[in-house]
Amino acid sequence: MDRRGPSIQHGVASVSGAVFARIAMGTACDLFGPRLASASLILLTAPAVYFTSIASSPISFLLVRFFTGFSLATFVSAQFWMSSMFSGPVVGTANGVAAGWGNLGGGATQLIMPLVFSLIRDIGAVKFTAWRIAFFIPALFQTLSAFAILIFGQDLPDGNYQRLQNSGNKQKDKFSRVFYHGITNYRGWILALTYGYCFGVELTVDNIIAEYFYDRFNLKLHTAGIIAASFGLANLVSRPAGGVLSDMMAKRFGMRGRLWALWAVQTLGGVFCIILGQVGSLTASIVVMIVFSVFVQAACGLTFGVVPFVSRRSLGVISGMTGGGGNVGAVLTQLIFFKGSKYSKETGITLMGIMIVCCTLPIFLIYFPQWGGMFCGPSLEKIATEEDYYLSEWSSKEQGKGLHQASLKFADNSRSERGRRVHSQTLSSNATPSANV
Amino acid sequence: MSRISTWLITSSIQELITPQNSSSMASRVLVLASILIFSCFAETCYGAISFSSLQRTLLVTASHRQGLLKAGEDKITVRWGLNQSFPAGTDSSYKTIKVQLCYAPISQVDRAWRKTEDHLNKDKTCQFKIVKKPYINVNETLEWTIERDVPTATFFIRAYALDSDDHEVAYGQNTDAQKKTNLFEIQAITGRHVSLDIASVCFSAFSVVSLMGFFFMEKRKARKSQQ
Repeated sequence: MDRRGPSIQHGVASVSGAVFARIAMGTACDLFGPRLASASLILLTAPAVYFTSIASSPISFLLVRFFTGFSLATFVSAQFWMSSMFSGPVVGTANGVAAGWGNLGGGATQLIMPLVFSLIRDIGAVKFTAWRIAFFIPALFQTLSAFAILIFGQDLPDGNYQRLQNSGNKQKDKFSRVFYHGITNYRGWILALTYGYCFGVELTVDNIIAEYFYDRFNLKLHTAGIIAASFGLANLVSRPAGGVLSDMMAKRFGMRGRLWALWAVQTLGGVFCIILGQVGSLTASIVVMIVFSVFVQAACGLTFGVVPFVSRRSLGVISGMTGGGGNVGAVLTQLIFFKGSKYSKETGITLMGIMIVCCTLPIFLIYFPQWGGMFCGPSLEKIATEEDYYLSEWSSKEQGKGLHQASLKFADNSRSERGRRVHSQTLSSNATPSANV
Repeated sequence: MSRISTWLITSSIQELITPQNSSSMASRVLVLASILIFSCFAETCYGAISFSSLQRTLLVTASHRQGLLKAGEDKITVRWGLNQSFPAGTDSSYKTIKVQLCYAPISQVDRAWRKTEDHLNKDKTCQFKIVKKPYINVNETLEWTIERDVPTATFFIRAYALDSDDHEVAYGQNTDAQKKTNLFEIQAITGRHVSLDIASVCFSAFSVVSLMGFFFMEKRKARKSQQ
């Protein structure tokens, strides 16, 4: 364990790889569908896990770790897939459960792999061989889960992209247009920043919390590791809870409710982070850490309650940007506050909490013309509709070709984001705009 | 233990202060002296032996073949014995000899679990036992095959002389006081087997080939449904 923390080049290298992988994955989902994109990535990175069994030099360990890291971009395809298969009123819950249990898997691995290793060693292998055999277990799981995706999964409720494209129900999109509409949407950038300060913080704390308890409270490393694992295990309920909260707020208050809940929960997470850096006793630290973890992970779930509505054409790119923002936030936070001995760990944690509160403020700036933002209602100058917003991503030529049908359907489904009072009014007027421009 | 000795000391001091006749004075001094000696033993019973309090009375040498030694395969010949320049009777309390393989300073950098501490029950320098046997006042030799679970690091050899309570009373090592000379490197076993290598390559190839297979089948199904 390199206790000096990551170097700058190390950090830049790892984060650029991670950001690139997530945006590439998002784009691939938009173009080829999440089923093929995620299964391809999983099967292509499975060799890295198999080769971990035969790594024997520092360089080989670094390489297998680097390539295994690419498989984490399946987070983006999972969120994209949930956003495609589940409708607006439940998309937060679906995203929260998928991502939360995914993160939980990372924590569970840390508890399960040592058990697998002990089992293999007790069966008869020398410990130097036992850990190598142990790596076949996750590698096999990876291969089998990719097969399961290919055999049992489908991209959309109507079917797979390729079949829909061949039958003319879905048009194949262009990479340049998808990418352009993704990166020019300012809401994607704001969410990337705020996600950096909920998921990025979660990653940072995963890295430093065991050391923090070991150093500050003189616990055994094993005990400190268990406390750190409980931080990740909270993902079982806290991230799904964030998604459920997002959907509950949307039911009553629409998109404005989702934004308020996200801001409030993430800011409270920042407040508890500040408190965590200030408390001095072990019991208080553990309690505050658990509360902090619940809020920070719920904020991650709440973020992906908003992301599915930012763009329809470029849903993958937006998901990828947000996911990439998480990694940037993690590396940035670790470099600023936890590298070297400039700040003590507890000061670093407090400063990180202050940064969370500050970097959550840009949520105030997110505004949807048809639904409003945190402080403004929907646009009154012209009666903005969901169709206007989602069709603005398609040029009139593309609409003439009928490429925008899926976005149109989504716009209709997303009317629930107006909230209960307004939604019941629009249902009664029953407006269904024509497809032709 | 120290609480008992403290109580004994305070009660005996109380007795000393209260006036008694002179014949019991001598017995008082004897009691106090024995209490002080007793508390010294109590300290050692507690186990807080420090390395710096040990005398280097043993001579230890280690010989091995040239180059990087392999765990599980290579042998080291260890010789130990009392340094004859010390007066006779120095080894009267030595009951057991414990020879260990110890990490050199270069292998302890940034590794807190191998740190050298002066208090021997916290010291983590020597983690591998070569031999532990009764002490005899003769120069002994042992040919030791390096055990399979020794990791890749730089080492030296140290021998502790233990008394009848299993406490360290003296030591010797094959290197100097700064632990810079006569160090040797050991290479751990890799644990790799040819069967593991083949299995890894086969499974990896299977993953990639099966992906191609799926793509091919998808294209075929799509072509069939179009016909």
